[in-house]
Amino acid sequence: MVVKIRLARFGRTNSPFYNIVVAHARTARNSRPLEVIGTYDPIPKKDTYDESGRLHKDIKLDITRAKYWIGVGAQPTETATRLLSMVGIVDPKHQKTPPRKSTPKKEKVVTVEA
Amino acid sequence: MPPRIRSSNCPPQQLLLNYLDAPLPSSLLPLHRSSAPSSSSPSCRSQQTSPQCQQQTSSFSTSQPREMTKPQREFRAFLKRMGKQFEKHEGNGPKYLCQVHQPKVDNVPFPSNKSFKSEPVLSSRARQTIWEAVMLKGMPLKAVSAQYQVDMRRVAAVVRLMEIEKRMERENAAMAIPYAQAVEKMLPRANLDSSEEEPFEPINDVHVHSFTMQQLFVPVSESREFTRKDAAKAFGDHILPPDHKMRIPELVDMEKAILNGIPQEKAEQEFLKQTRESERRFAESQKYVAAKKDAKKSKVDTERFEFRIENFNSEAVGKKGRARNAVGWRYGVPFNDRQRGLYKIPTSVG
Repeated sequence: MVVKIRLARFGRTNSPFYNIVVAHARTARNSRPLEVIGTYDPIPKKDTYDESGRLHKDIKLDITRAKYWIGVGAQPTETATRLLSMVGIVDPKHQKTPPRKSTPKKEKVVTVEA
Repeated sequence: MPPRIRSSNCPPQQLLLNYLDAPLPSSLLPLHRSSAPSSSSPSCRSQQTSPQCQQQTSSFSTSQPREMTKPQREFRAFLKRMGKQFEKHEGNGPKYLCQVHQPKVDNVPFPSNKSFKSEPVLSSRARQTIWEAVMLKGMPLKAVSAQYQVDMRRVAAVVRLMEIEKRMERENAAMAIPYAQAVEKMLPRANLDSSEEEPFEPINDVHVHSFTMQQLFVPVSESREFTRKDAAKAFGDHILPPDHKMRIPELVDMEKAILNGIPQEKAEQEFLKQTRESERRFAESQKYVAAKKDAKKSKVDTERFEFRIENFNSEAVGKKGRARNAVGWRYGVPFNDRQRGLYKIPTSVG
Protein backbone atom coordinates (compact mmCIF):
# COMPACT_ATOMS: atom_id res chain seq x y z
CA MET A 1 0.00 0.00 0.00
CA VAL A 2 1.14 3.53 -0.67
CA VAL A 3 2.64 5.35 2.28
CA LYS A 4 1.79 9.02 2.43
CA ILE A 5 3.07 12.00 4.34
CA ARG A 6 -0.04 14.01 5.08
CA LEU A 7 -1.80 16.18 7.62
CA ALA A 8 -4.27 14.92 10.24
CA ARG A 9 -6.64 17.58 11.48
CA PHE A 10 -7.06 17.94 15.22
CA GLY A 11 -7.99 20.95 17.28
CA ARG A 12 -11.48 22.32 17.64
CA THR A 13 -14.11 24.04 15.54
CA ASN A 14 -12.53 27.12 14.01
CA SER A 15 -9.17 26.40 15.60
CA PRO A 16 -7.48 23.71 13.53
CA PHE A 17 -4.21 22.08 14.46
CA TYR A 18 -2.49 19.49 12.33
CA ASN A 19 -0.23 16.55 13.00
CA ILE A 20 2.16 15.88 10.15
CA VAL A 21 1.94 12.11 9.91
CA VAL A 22 3.25 9.18 7.93
CA ALA A 23 0.37 6.80 7.24
CA HIS A 24 -0.96 4.28 4.75
CA ALA A 25 -2.89 6.06 2.05
CA ARG A 26 -6.15 4.19 2.56
CA THR A 27 -6.49 4.64 6.31
CA ALA A 28 -8.81 7.22 7.86
CA ARG A 29 -7.58 10.75 8.31
CA ASN A 30 -7.29 10.71 12.10
CA SER A 31 -6.53 7.03 12.62
CA ARG A 32 -3.35 6.04 14.38
CA PRO A 33 -0.55 6.68 11.87
CA LEU A 34 2.74 4.87 11.36
CA GLU A 35 4.50 7.84 12.85
CA VAL A 36 3.91 11.44 13.82
CA ILE A 37 6.79 13.45 12.42
CA GLY A 38 5.63 16.94 13.23
CA THR A 39 2.89 19.46 13.80
CA TYR A 40 1.57 22.43 11.89
CA ASP A 41 -0.36 25.26 13.50
CA PRO A 42 -2.09 27.07 10.63
CA ILE A 43 -3.38 29.97 12.72
CA PRO A 44 -1.10 32.97 12.17
CA LYS A 45 0.19 34.63 15.32
CA LYS A 46 1.82 37.87 16.30
CA ASP A 47 4.89 38.17 18.47
CA THR A 48 3.94 39.48 21.90
CA TYR A 49 5.99 42.63 21.93
CA ASP A 50 6.38 43.15 18.21
CA GLU A 51 4.39 46.14 17.01
CA SER A 52 5.06 45.65 13.31
CA GLY A 53 2.05 43.33 13.10
CA ARG A 54 4.00 40.71 11.12
CA LEU A 55 2.37 37.30 11.42
CA HIS A 56 4.10 33.96 11.78
CA LYS A 57 3.10 30.30 11.72
CA ASP A 58 4.72 27.57 13.78
CA ILE A 59 5.82 24.23 12.40
CA LYS A 60 7.58 21.44 14.26
CA LEU A 61 9.24 18.84 12.12
CA ASP A 62 11.62 15.95 12.62
CA ILE A 63 13.71 16.64 9.55
CA THR A 64 15.74 13.41 9.80
CA ARG A 65 12.64 11.21 9.86
CA ALA A 66 11.00 13.23 7.08
CA LYS A 67 14.08 12.71 4.91
CA TYR A 68 14.09 8.99 5.71
CA TRP A 69 10.44 8.53 4.74
CA ILE A 70 10.91 10.47 1.50
CA GLY A 71 13.97 8.29 0.83
CA VAL A 72 11.97 5.07 1.11
CA GLY A 73 9.28 6.34 -1.22
CA ALA A 74 6.61 7.95 0.94
CA GLN A 75 4.52 10.35 -1.12
CA PRO A 76 3.82 13.73 0.42
CA THR A 77 0.47 15.29 -0.36
CA GLU A 78 0.34 18.71 -1.94
CA THR A 79 0.14 20.53 1.40
CA ALA A 80 2.84 18.35 2.92
CA THR A 81 5.03 19.05 -0.11
CA ARG A 82 4.60 22.76 0.49
CA LEU A 83 5.71 22.40 4.12
CA LEU A 84 8.57 19.97 3.42
CA SER A 85 9.89 22.10 0.58
CA MET A 86 10.46 24.95 3.02
CA VAL A 87 13.33 23.03 4.62
CA GLY A 88 14.55 21.67 1.30
CA ILE A 89 13.50 18.04 1.78
CA VAL A 90 11.57 17.98 -1.49
CA ASP A 91 11.44 20.29 -4.46
CA PRO A 92 8.61 22.77 -4.35
CA LYS A 93 5.76 22.03 -6.73
CA HIS A 94 5.35 25.61 -7.78
CA GLN A 95 8.46 27.65 -8.15
CA LYS A 96 8.42 31.34 -8.41
CA THR A 97 10.14 32.23 -11.59
CA PRO A 98 10.43 35.76 -12.81
CA PRO A 99 8.30 36.40 -15.90
CA ARG A 100 10.17 35.98 -19.14
CA LYS A 101 11.26 39.21 -20.60
CA SER A 102 9.97 39.68 -24.11
CA THR A 103 12.73 40.80 -26.39
CA PRO A 104 11.68 43.61 -28.65
CA LYS A 105 11.37 42.45 -32.21
CA LYS A 106 13.80 43.86 -34.62
CA GLU A 107 12.12 46.14 -37.06
CA LYS A 108 12.61 45.26 -40.62
CA VAL A 109 14.43 47.86 -42.50
CA VAL A 110 12.61 48.56 -45.62
CA THR A 111 14.47 50.36 -48.21
CA VAL A 112 12.46 52.03 -50.78
CA GLU A 113 14.15 52.53 -53.96
CA ALA A 114 13.23 55.54 -55.79
CA MET B 1 -44.74 25.80 5.22
CA PRO B 2 -48.03 25.57 7.14
CA PRO B 3 -51.07 26.98 5.36
CA ARG B 4 -51.74 30.58 6.18
CA ILE B 5 -55.10 32.06 7.08
CA ARG B 6 -55.76 35.16 5.10
CA SER B 7 -55.96 38.15 7.33
CA SER B 8 -59.14 39.56 5.75
CA ASN B 9 -61.07 36.40 6.65
CA CYS B 10 -59.88 35.95 10.20
CA PRO B 11 -58.05 38.77 11.96
CA PRO B 12 -55.75 37.53 14.77
CA GLN B 13 -57.41 39.64 17.43
CA GLN B 14 -60.72 38.04 16.66
CA LEU B 15 -59.12 34.64 17.15
CA LEU B 16 -57.97 35.59 20.61
CA LEU B 17 -61.33 36.97 21.63
CA ASN B 18 -63.05 33.84 20.42
CA TYR B 19 -60.67 31.76 22.44
CA LEU B 20 -61.25 33.84 25.57
CA ASP B 21 -65.01 33.77 25.24
CA ALA B 22 -65.24 30.01 24.88
CA PRO B 23 -65.95 28.37 28.27
CA LEU B 24 -63.05 26.22 29.42
CA PRO B 25 -63.64 22.64 30.51
CA SER B 26 -63.48 22.38 34.29
CA SER B 27 -60.48 20.04 34.21
CA LEU B 28 -58.39 22.71 32.47
CA LEU B 29 -59.28 25.46 34.88
CA PRO B 30 -56.46 26.41 37.24
CA LEU B 31 -57.19 25.94 40.91
CA HIS B 32 -57.19 29.59 41.87
CA ARG B 33 -60.04 30.32 39.50
CA SER B 34 -62.57 28.97 41.97
CA SER B 35 -61.57 31.46 44.67
CA ALA B 36 -60.42 34.59 42.85
CA PRO B 37 -61.89 36.03 39.67
CA SER B 38 -59.29 36.06 36.92
CA SER B 39 -58.75 38.93 34.56
CA SER B 40 -59.70 36.78 31.64
CA SER B 41 -63.11 35.90 33.07
CA PRO B 42 -66.01 37.83 31.55
CA SER B 43 -66.77 39.57 34.85
CA CYS B 44 -63.31 41.08 34.93
CA ARG B 45 -63.25 42.00 31.31
CA SER B 46 -66.48 43.91 31.68
CA GLN B 47 -64.79 46.24 34.18
CA GLN B 48 -61.41 46.46 32.54
CA THR B 49 -61.07 50.08 33.52
CA SER B 50 -60.50 49.17 37.17
CA PRO B 51 -56.75 49.56 37.90
CA GLN B 52 -56.54 46.48 40.14
CA CYS B 53 -57.66 44.22 37.37
CA GLN B 54 -55.09 45.66 34.95
CA GLN B 55 -52.31 45.43 37.45
CA GLN B 56 -52.85 41.76 38.20
CA THR B 57 -52.28 40.32 34.76
CA SER B 58 -51.57 41.37 31.24
CA SER B 59 -54.48 41.40 28.86
CA PHE B 60 -53.32 38.22 27.14
CA SER B 61 -52.41 36.22 30.24
CA THR B 62 -54.79 33.77 31.80
CA SER B 63 -52.72 33.09 34.91
CA GLN B 64 -52.44 35.07 38.09
CA PRO B 65 -49.17 36.80 38.92
CA ARG B 66 -47.03 34.96 41.38
CA GLU B 67 -47.06 36.32 44.88
CA MET B 68 -43.81 37.80 46.17
CA THR B 69 -42.00 35.83 48.83
CA LYS B 70 -41.21 37.43 52.17
CA PRO B 71 -37.55 38.13 51.37
CA GLN B 72 -38.60 39.64 48.06
CA ARG B 73 -41.12 41.91 49.80
CA GLU B 74 -38.56 42.93 52.39
CA PHE B 75 -36.01 43.66 49.71
CA ARG B 76 -38.48 45.87 47.84
CA ALA B 77 -39.19 47.72 51.09
CA PHE B 78 -35.45 48.12 51.72
CA LEU B 79 -34.95 49.56 48.24
CA LYS B 80 -37.68 52.10 48.87
CA ARG B 81 -36.34 53.28 52.21
CA MET B 82 -32.72 52.71 53.17
CA GLY B 83 -31.57 51.41 49.82
CA LYS B 84 -32.49 54.65 48.12
CA GLN B 85 -29.06 56.11 48.88
CA PHE B 86 -27.31 53.23 47.12
CA GLU B 87 -29.24 53.70 43.90
CA LYS B 88 -26.68 56.09 42.46
CA HIS B 89 -23.07 56.22 43.48
CA GLU B 90 -22.06 59.62 44.76
CA GLY B 91 -18.81 60.91 46.11
CA ASN B 92 -15.31 59.63 45.73
CA GLY B 93 -14.63 56.22 47.20
CA PRO B 94 -16.61 53.18 48.16
CA LYS B 95 -19.97 53.25 49.87
CA TYR B 96 -20.69 50.13 51.87
CA LEU B 97 -23.79 48.99 53.72
CA CYS B 98 -21.93 49.15 57.02
CA GLN B 99 -21.38 52.87 56.65
CA VAL B 100 -25.10 53.57 57.13
CA HIS B 101 -24.92 52.62 60.80
CA GLN B 102 -21.21 53.08 61.46
CA PRO B 103 -19.89 55.93 59.34
CA LYS B 104 -16.36 55.48 60.70
CA VAL B 105 -15.96 51.95 59.41
CA ASP B 106 -14.98 52.37 55.81
CA ASN B 107 -13.52 49.13 54.54
CA VAL B 108 -16.05 46.47 55.55
CA PRO B 109 -18.27 45.69 52.57
CA PHE B 110 -20.31 42.86 54.12
CA PRO B 111 -22.10 43.69 57.40
CA SER B 112 -22.34 40.05 58.47
CA ASN B 113 -18.68 39.37 57.79
CA LYS B 114 -16.79 41.91 59.86
CA SER B 115 -13.45 40.22 59.41
CA PHE B 116 -13.46 40.74 55.66
CA LYS B 117 -11.73 44.01 54.83
CA SER B 118 -11.56 45.38 51.31
CA GLU B 119 -8.05 46.22 50.22
CA PRO B 120 -7.24 49.30 48.17
CA VAL B 121 -6.28 49.02 44.51
CA LEU B 122 -3.73 51.17 42.66
CA SER B 123 -5.41 54.29 41.33
CA SER B 124 -4.92 55.34 37.74
CA ARG B 125 -2.64 58.13 38.96
CA ALA B 126 -0.52 55.63 40.88
CA ARG B 127 -0.27 53.41 37.82
CA GLN B 128 0.83 56.37 35.73
CA THR B 129 3.47 57.22 38.36
CA ILE B 130 4.85 53.68 38.27
CA TRP B 131 4.87 53.61 34.47
CA GLU B 132 6.71 56.93 34.29
CA ALA B 133 9.29 55.80 36.82
CA VAL B 134 10.05 52.64 34.85
CA MET B 135 9.62 53.69 31.24
CA LEU B 136 10.54 57.39 31.26
CA LYS B 137 13.04 57.66 34.10
CA GLY B 138 14.43 54.16 33.46
CA MET B 139 14.48 53.12 37.10
CA PRO B 140 14.99 49.40 37.76
CA LEU B 141 11.84 47.51 38.80
CA LYS B 142 13.33 46.62 42.17
CA ALA B 143 14.00 50.26 42.96
CA VAL B 144 10.48 51.30 41.94
CA SER B 145 9.10 48.49 44.07
CA ALA B 146 11.14 49.65 47.05
CA GLN B 147 10.28 53.31 46.59
CA TYR B 148 6.52 52.91 46.37
CA GLN B 149 6.23 49.76 48.50
CA VAL B 150 4.51 47.84 45.74
CA ASP B 151 5.33 44.20 45.01
CA MET B 152 7.80 43.75 42.17
CA ARG B 153 5.42 41.47 40.26
CA ARG B 154 2.69 44.08 40.54
CA VAL B 155 5.05 46.77 39.24
CA ALA B 156 5.85 44.58 36.24
CA ALA B 157 2.16 43.88 35.63
CA VAL B 158 1.31 47.59 35.81
CA VAL B 159 3.99 48.42 33.26
CA ARG B 160 2.82 45.66 30.90
CA LEU B 161 -0.83 46.70 31.09
CA MET B 162 -0.04 50.41 30.76
CA GLU B 163 2.01 49.63 27.66
CA ILE B 164 -0.97 47.79 26.16
CA GLU B 165 -3.23 50.72 27.07
CA LYS B 166 -0.88 53.21 25.44
CA ARG B 167 -0.62 51.07 22.33
CA MET B 168 -4.42 50.95 22.09
CA GLU B 169 -4.47 54.73 22.42
CA ARG B 170 -1.99 55.05 19.58
CA GLU B 171 -4.07 52.73 17.43
CA ASN B 172 -7.25 54.69 18.25
CA ALA B 173 -8.87 51.50 19.53
CA ALA B 174 -12.26 51.74 21.23
CA MET B 175 -11.76 51.99 24.99
CA ALA B 176 -14.30 51.97 27.82
CA ILE B 177 -12.78 54.89 29.72
CA PRO B 178 -15.99 56.28 31.30
CA TYR B 179 -16.74 52.80 32.57
CA ALA B 180 -13.25 52.41 34.03
CA GLN B 181 -13.51 55.79 35.70
CA ALA B 182 -16.93 54.98 37.16
CA VAL B 183 -15.69 51.68 38.58
CA GLU B 184 -12.55 53.30 39.95
CA LYS B 185 -14.65 55.84 41.83
CA MET B 186 -16.42 53.05 43.68
CA LEU B 187 -13.23 51.36 44.86
CA PRO B 188 -10.91 52.11 47.77
CA ARG B 189 -7.62 53.09 46.18
CA ALA B 190 -4.06 54.05 46.93
CA ASN B 191 -2.42 56.98 45.17
CA LEU B 192 1.10 56.14 46.37
CA ASP B 193 1.55 59.71 47.58
CA SER B 194 4.06 60.56 50.23
CA SER B 195 1.10 61.57 52.41
CA GLU B 196 0.05 57.92 52.79
CA GLU B 197 1.67 56.58 55.91
CA GLU B 198 0.97 52.88 55.53
CA PRO B 199 2.87 51.02 52.85
CA PHE B 200 0.73 49.64 50.04
CA GLU B 201 1.83 46.05 50.62
CA PRO B 202 4.80 44.10 51.98
CA ILE B 203 7.42 43.78 49.25
CA ASN B 204 10.12 41.57 50.62
CA ASP B 205 8.21 38.66 52.15
CA VAL B 206 9.96 35.33 52.14
CA HIS B 207 8.01 32.31 50.97
CA VAL B 208 7.86 29.62 53.64
CA HIS B 209 8.39 26.17 52.19
CA SER B 210 6.31 23.44 53.80
CA PHE B 211 9.47 21.39 54.37
CA THR B 212 10.72 24.03 56.77
CA MET B 213 7.58 23.92 58.90
CA GLN B 214 8.63 20.73 60.65
CA GLN B 215 10.67 20.46 63.79
CA LEU B 216 14.09 19.04 63.13
CA PHE B 217 16.86 17.92 65.47
CA VAL B 218 20.28 18.09 63.88
CA PRO B 219 23.32 17.22 66.00
CA VAL B 220 26.00 19.83 65.44
CA SER B 221 29.33 20.14 67.16
CA GLU B 222 29.65 23.16 69.39
CA SER B 223 32.69 24.49 67.60
CA ARG B 224 30.94 24.55 64.24
CA GLU B 225 29.33 27.69 62.89
CA PHE B 226 25.77 26.78 61.95
CA THR B 227 24.39 29.33 59.46
CA ARG B 228 21.06 29.76 57.70
CA LYS B 229 22.55 28.01 54.70
CA ASP B 230 23.28 24.95 56.82
CA ALA B 231 19.78 25.07 58.29
CA ALA B 232 18.25 25.17 54.82
CA LYS B 233 20.38 22.20 53.77
CA ALA B 234 19.27 20.29 56.85
CA PHE B 235 15.64 20.64 55.72
CA GLY B 236 16.39 19.40 52.23
CA ASP B 237 18.91 19.72 49.44
CA HIS B 238 16.61 21.87 47.31
CA ILE B 239 15.62 24.25 50.12
CA LEU B 240 17.07 27.73 49.70
CA PRO B 241 18.19 29.85 52.64
CA PRO B 242 15.92 32.90 53.23
CA ASP B 243 18.62 35.27 51.96
CA HIS B 244 18.31 33.67 48.52
CA LYS B 245 14.52 33.61 48.56
CA MET B 246 14.15 37.36 49.03
CA ARG B 247 12.85 39.30 46.07
CA ILE B 248 15.03 42.35 46.76
CA PRO B 249 18.12 41.23 48.71
CA GLU B 250 19.77 44.53 47.78
CA LEU B 251 17.49 46.24 50.31
CA VAL B 252 19.12 44.21 53.10
CA ASP B 253 22.57 45.20 51.85
CA MET B 254 21.52 48.85 51.93
CA GLU B 255 20.26 48.61 55.50
CA LYS B 256 23.46 46.85 56.54
CA ALA B 257 25.54 49.60 54.94
CA ILE B 258 23.59 52.29 56.76
CA LEU B 259 24.10 50.45 60.05
CA ASN B 260 27.84 50.34 59.33
CA GLY B 261 27.92 54.12 59.20
CA ILE B 262 27.73 54.77 55.48
CA PRO B 263 25.62 57.88 54.78
CA GLN B 264 22.10 57.15 53.55
CA GLU B 265 22.48 58.91 50.21
CA LYS B 266 25.55 56.94 49.35
CA ALA B 267 23.88 53.70 50.40
CA GLU B 268 20.88 54.52 48.22
CA GLN B 269 23.15 55.22 45.27
CA GLU B 270 24.78 51.86 45.82
CA PHE B 271 21.33 50.21 46.03
CA LEU B 272 20.32 51.76 42.69
CA LYS B 273 23.57 50.59 41.14
CA GLN B 274 23.15 47.04 42.45
CA THR B 275 19.52 46.73 41.35
CA ARG B 276 20.34 48.07 37.90
CA GLU B 277 23.15 45.55 37.61
CA SER B 278 20.96 42.64 38.72
CA GLU B 279 18.25 43.67 36.26
CA ARG B 280 20.79 43.85 33.44
CA ARG B 281 22.06 40.38 34.30
CA PHE B 282 18.51 39.00 34.37
CA ALA B 283 17.66 40.60 31.01
CA GLU B 284 20.83 39.17 29.52
CA SER B 285 20.06 35.66 30.73
CA GLN B 286 16.52 35.94 29.32
CA LYS B 287 17.91 37.13 26.01
CA TYR B 288 20.36 34.24 25.95
CA VAL B 289 17.58 31.72 26.55
CA ALA B 290 15.40 33.31 23.86
CA ALA B 291 18.27 33.40 21.37
CA LYS B 292 19.09 29.76 22.06
CA LYS B 293 15.46 28.81 21.48
CA ASP B 294 15.37 30.92 18.34
CA ALA B 295 18.52 29.34 16.92
CA LYS B 296 16.76 25.97 16.81
CA LYS B 297 14.22 27.35 14.37
CA SER B 298 14.74 27.94 10.70
CA LYS B 299 12.67 30.78 9.33
CA VAL B 300 11.15 30.90 5.89
CA ASP B 301 9.71 34.20 4.79
CA THR B 302 6.82 34.14 2.40
CA GLU B 303 4.84 37.13 1.22
CA ARG B 304 2.15 36.74 3.85
CA PHE B 305 3.67 34.89 6.77
CA GLU B 306 6.92 33.88 8.30
CA PHE B 307 7.08 30.11 8.80
CA ARG B 308 9.13 29.12 11.85
CA ILE B 309 10.22 25.54 11.57
CA GLU B 310 11.57 23.88 14.67
CA ASN B 311 13.53 20.69 14.33
CA PHE B 312 12.94 18.05 16.98
CA ASN B 313 13.33 14.38 17.67
CA SER B 314 10.04 12.63 16.97
CA GLU B 315 11.29 9.32 18.35
CA ALA B 316 11.28 10.55 21.95
CA VAL B 317 7.72 9.49 22.53
CA GLY B 318 8.21 7.08 25.41
CA LYS B 319 7.80 3.34 25.63
CA LYS B 320 4.19 3.28 24.52
CA GLY B 321 4.40 6.26 22.23
CA ARG B 322 2.22 8.30 24.53
CA ALA B 323 4.73 10.42 26.43
CA ARG B 324 3.23 13.63 27.79
CA ASN B 325 5.75 15.87 26.09
CA ALA B 326 5.71 13.99 22.79
CA VAL B 327 4.98 16.14 19.80
CA GLY B 328 1.52 16.61 18.37
CA TRP B 329 -1.99 15.69 19.32
CA ARG B 330 -1.93 12.35 21.09
CA TYR B 331 -3.81 9.30 19.91
CA GLY B 332 -6.08 7.28 22.17
CA VAL B 333 -5.75 9.73 25.03
CA PRO B 334 -8.55 12.09 26.09
CA PHE B 335 -7.75 15.74 25.68
CA ASN B 336 -9.10 17.45 28.76
CA ASP B 337 -9.16 21.00 27.53
CA ARG B 338 -12.90 21.26 28.12
CA GLN B 339 -13.19 19.22 31.27
CA ARG B 340 -14.67 21.02 34.20
CA GLY B 341 -12.75 21.63 37.37
CA LEU B 342 -9.33 21.95 35.78
CA TYR B 343 -7.36 25.17 35.79
CA LYS B 344 -6.90 26.38 32.24
CA ILE B 345 -5.75 29.90 33.03
CA PRO B 346 -2.13 30.31 31.98
CA THR B 347 0.17 30.73 34.95
CA SER B 348 2.97 32.54 33.16
CA VAL B 349 3.24 35.49 30.85
CA GLY B 350 4.78 34.71 27.48
